[in-house]
Amino acid sequence: MTTGIYAALEVQHLTKRFFNAQYSAVSDVSFEIENGEMLALVGPSGCGKTTTLRLIAGLERPDSGLIRLRGQVLTSETKFVPPERRGIGMVFQDHALFPHLTVFENVAFGLRGRKPAEVRLAVSEMLHLVGMDSLASRYPHELSGGERQRVALVRALAPRPALLLLDEPFSSLDADLRREVREQVRGILKSIHATVIFVTHDQEEALYMGDRLAVYQRGCLEQIGTPEEIFHSSATRFVAEFMGNSDFLQGKVVPEGVRTAVGLLSQPVSANGFRPVEVALRADDVDFELDENGNAIISERFFRGAFNLYRLRLDSGQVLHAFKEHTVILPVGARVRAYISAGHPLVVFHEGRAVSGG
Amino acid sequence: MQLTQITRLTLPRWNSARTSPRLIFAAGLVALFVAVPLVYIFIRALAAEPEAWQRLLQTRLWKLLGNTLALALAVTGGALATGVSLAWLAERTDLPGRGIFRGILALPLAIPAYIGGIVHLTLLRPSGGFIPQALEAIFGQPVPLPSPIGFWGAAFILTLFTYPYVYLLSGAAFRRLHASLEEAARTLGRTPWQTLWQVTLPALRPGLMAGALLVALDVLAEYGTVALLRYETFSSAIFIQLSGRYDRAAASILSGVLVSLAIFILWAELRLQGRARFTQVESNWRPAPLASLGKWRLPAFTLVLLVISASLLVPMAVLVIWSVRSFLDPQALAAVFRTGTVGFGSFVWNSLWTSSLAAAAAVALSLPIALLSIRHPGRISQFISRFCQVGYAIPGVVIALSLVLLVNRTMPFLYATPFVVVIAYVLRHMPQAVRSSESAFSQLSPSLEEAARNLGRTSVQTFFQVTLPLVAPGLLAGGALVFLTSLKELPATLLLRPAGFDTLAVRVWIWAVDGFYMQAAPAALFLVLAAALPLSFLLRREQIFR
Repeated sequence: MTTGIYAALEVQHLTKRFFNAQYSAVSDVSFEIENGEMLALVGPSGCGKTTTLRLIAGLERPDSGLIRLRGQVLTSETKFVPPERRGIGMVFQDHALFPHLTVFENVAFGLRGRKPAEVRLAVSEMLHLVGMDSLASRYPHELSGGERQRVALVRALAPRPALLLLDEPFSSLDADLRREVREQVRGILKSIHATVIFVTHDQEEALYMGDRLAVYQRGCLEQIGTPEEIFHSSATRFVAEFMGNSDFLQGKVVPEGVRTAVGLLSQPVSANGFRPVEVALRADDVDFELDENGNAIISERFFRGAFNLYRLRLDSGQVLHAFKEHTVILPVGARVRAYISAGHPLVVFHEGRAVSGG
Repeated sequence: MQLTQITRLTLPRWNSARTSPRLIFAAGLVALFVAVPLVYIFIRALAAEPEAWQRLLQTRLWKLLGNTLALALAVTGGALATGVSLAWLAERTDLPGRGIFRGILALPLAIPAYIGGIVHLTLLRPSGGFIPQALEAIFGQPVPLPSPIGFWGAAFILTLFTYPYVYLLSGAAFRRLHASLEEAARTLGRTPWQTLWQVTLPALRPGLMAGALLVALDVLAEYGTVALLRYETFSSAIFIQLSGRYDRAAASILSGVLVSLAIFILWAELRLQGRARFTQVESNWRPAPLASLGKWRLPAFTLVLLVISASLLVPMAVLVIWSVRSFLDPQALAAVFRTGTVGFGSFVWNSLWTSSLAAAAAVALSLPIALLSIRHPGRISQFISRFCQVGYAIPGVVIALSLVLLVNRTMPFLYATPFVVVIAYVLRHMPQAVRSSESAFSQLSPSLEEAARNLGRTSVQTFFQVTLPLVAPGLLAGGALVFLTSLKELPATLLLRPAGFDTLAVRVWIWAVDGFYMQAAPAALFLVLAAALPLSFLLRREQIFR
C-alpha cells in the first residue's frame, strides 16, 4: 500500500443483512487478493458467498464495510459506485445470455463506444479463445450448455475487466462436461492472467480451481489460505469437516500429547489441562489389522476401484474410516485393531478451533 | 412368461411413437371445418364480376384500406405504450397500491369496447353530452372539448379497451424475466435506463408482439365501436353491404381484402419473431427487485388511476347509475323486462347457452389438434395447428357473410337457427381454445401416462384417470376464454341471428343505437358481470389475483 502497489481487490469488514432476515448474510468479512490470483469462495449453500460476490459487483449495497479495487474505493460508508462503472466482469449462474442477441452481439455488448472494426476484432479474438468462432451468429437457445457457459465467460472478459467474478459457473453443467469445461476455463483464465473470484459449493472444484480458498460458514469467513493449508491445517472443525470428509475422534490432552481410543497421539498441543479435544482423522491417516483382541470391528466395506474404504466401529462407539489397497478384502464383522498411521502432525480442535497440528 | 410380460410392457411406447391415423383424421376434419368458410370467402371474392371489383377499386376500397390501417396502427401503438408502461409499473416498481392495481388493470377486458364507447359518447358528445353541458352550466358558455366522434375518438376508445391484451402478456413476460439478465447488463456497463431499453424490453419482445397482434386483429374485426363513432372501416362497410344494401358481391370482395390484410399481419408477426425465440427455461429463477419510483410515485399513481377511471370506473359507474334510474322509472323498468314478446330472462339465457355451447365445442374440437401437435410434432401437425389459428384473422362480419352464403347453399335446414351463431363463435374463437389446449398438453409429461400404462391401465383408462384430470384446468381456461369473447361478440350475432333471437350484446346494441341508454344499462351491466366471471378465473390462474 505504501509503495503504491495495490492489492487487486481489498475487502474490509463487509457486512450485509437482508431485510427481515434473522442472521447476517455476510458478517464482517475481510480479505485481499493479488493481481492474477484466483480465489475460490466455498461453503454450503446459503453461507453468504454469493452475496459477497454481488456486493463486490455492486448488485447489492452492504450495511457497512469497504471495497477497494486497485486502490479505488468502490463501496464505503459514503460512496457507492454503480455496477456499470466498476469495471468488474461477472459470469452468472444461469449465464444470463441476452436471448434477443446472437452470440456475437452478446460478446460485443460490453464493448460500447469503440469502432466497429475494433469490436469485430475483439469479439472474434474472444470467440477464438474459447473455440466458438463458427457459432457467432447463433442465438443462445441454439447453443448447448457448455457453449453457453463459454459465451458467458468471454462476454464478461471482452471489456477486459480488472476483476472477474464467477457465480457457481459450472453448476448448470453435467458432471462429465463440468470437469472438461472447468479445465478449459482455468487454462484460459490463467493464460490471460485474469484476477478472478469464483463461488462454488463443491470442495473438489474449489481445490482444483483456486490458488487460494476462502471457506464460508453462516456469513463468516472461517479460513482463507492455499488449498494445502485449508486441507492440512484447517483452522476450525467446520473447515476440516466441509473440506476433507474428516472423522473426529475424541481425546484428552495429557502432557505427552493427546490420548484417544486408538492410542496416544504424541504431538504438542497448545491447550493445557486435561481438556476434551477432537482429532481430525481422514481415511489415509488411519490403518488397521486383523486382531482378535482389537479395539474395533469392520462395519462396512466400500469398493472404490483403486482402493477399498473400510468403515470401522470402535468399541467406544465412534466411527472411523480407513483406506486399504484394492486387493485387501476383509470380511464385515471382523475384529480389528485400528491405529493412527499418519506420518504428519494431525489437527486437533478444542471447542471447534484448532489448537495443534498442520 | 417373463418374456411376454416384457414385450407387453414395451408395446405402449411403440404405439405412442407412431401417429395414430384416427387422430390425424380427426384433426384433419377440424382443420377442414375451419378451412371451408375461409376458402369460400376467397372464392366468392375472386368470382365476383369484374365490374364489382372495378366499382370498388375506383370508389371505396382505397379509402377503406387507409382508414382501417390508420386505426389499426394508432390503436396498436396506443395499446402497446399503455399496456407496457402499466405492466412495468404494476410488476416492477413500488407503485402505491400495486397489489390492487395488478388485477384491476386487466378487468376492462370484460367490457365490450362498444359499451365503453356508448358511455364515453354520452358523456363527451359535443351536442348534448353530459360533460359539455355541465361545463357550459358552470362557465356560462360552451367549452371546447375533443369530440369522441371520428378517428381519434375511435382510436381512444379502442385503445382503452384493448390495452389489457398487451398489459397481460407483457406483465407475464416481466414476471418470467430473469433478474440476472438485467444484472448482467449492469456489469457490462449499462445504466438502469439503458438496461430497460437495450435488454429488458427487447427480451420481452415476444410477449409484446403477441399482445400487439391481438390488438391489431381486434381492431380489424371491430364493428360496434367504429359504427357508433361513425368512422368507416372494412368491418363496418361490409356490415352495411350485408345488412342494408344486401350487395353480396361487394361484401365478398371487401371481406377477401380484409382477411388478406389480417393474414398478412399474422404472417408478419410470425416472420418478425424469427429465430429469436426466447423461451429459455433455466433453473435458479430469481425475481428482479422492484425499481424505486422516487419522486415519480405520485405522477405514476395518477396515470394509473386515470387509465383505470376511463376504462373501468367511469363506464361501470355510469352503467350502475343508469340501471338504478331505469329501475326507478316504471316505464323503463317495464321495457327492460319485457320487449315485445321476449323478456330479459330470454336475452340472458340466449347469451349464456350460445356462448357455453361454443366454448364446449371449441375445446372439444381443439383436443385432436393439440394432441397431434404436441405428441406427434411434425410438418403436418404443425401446419394443421397453425391453420386452426387463422380464425383469429377472420372478423365476425366475414364469418357471418361466409356462413350466410354457405348455409343457404348447402345446409338450408340450419338457416335461421341459433346454431349458425354458435358455429360462428366456434370458428372465430377456436384459436384461443387450441392455444390453451396445446399449452395444457405440453405441460404434461408423457412419462406420467407411461407410468399409468405400466401400472395396468388401458389407454382409455389412462386418458380418463391421468391425462384428463391433469389437463382439465388448462382446457377449462381455454373454454373460459372462448365463453368470454363469444359473450362479447356483436357483428356475427347481429347478422346471423334468427329474427327475434336476442342476446345481451344484441339487445344492448339495439337499445343504445336507438338512444334508450337507461333501458340498455341493466343488460350491459349484466353482460359485463357475466364476462368478468370467467375473466377473474383466468386472472387467478395467471396468479395475477392472489
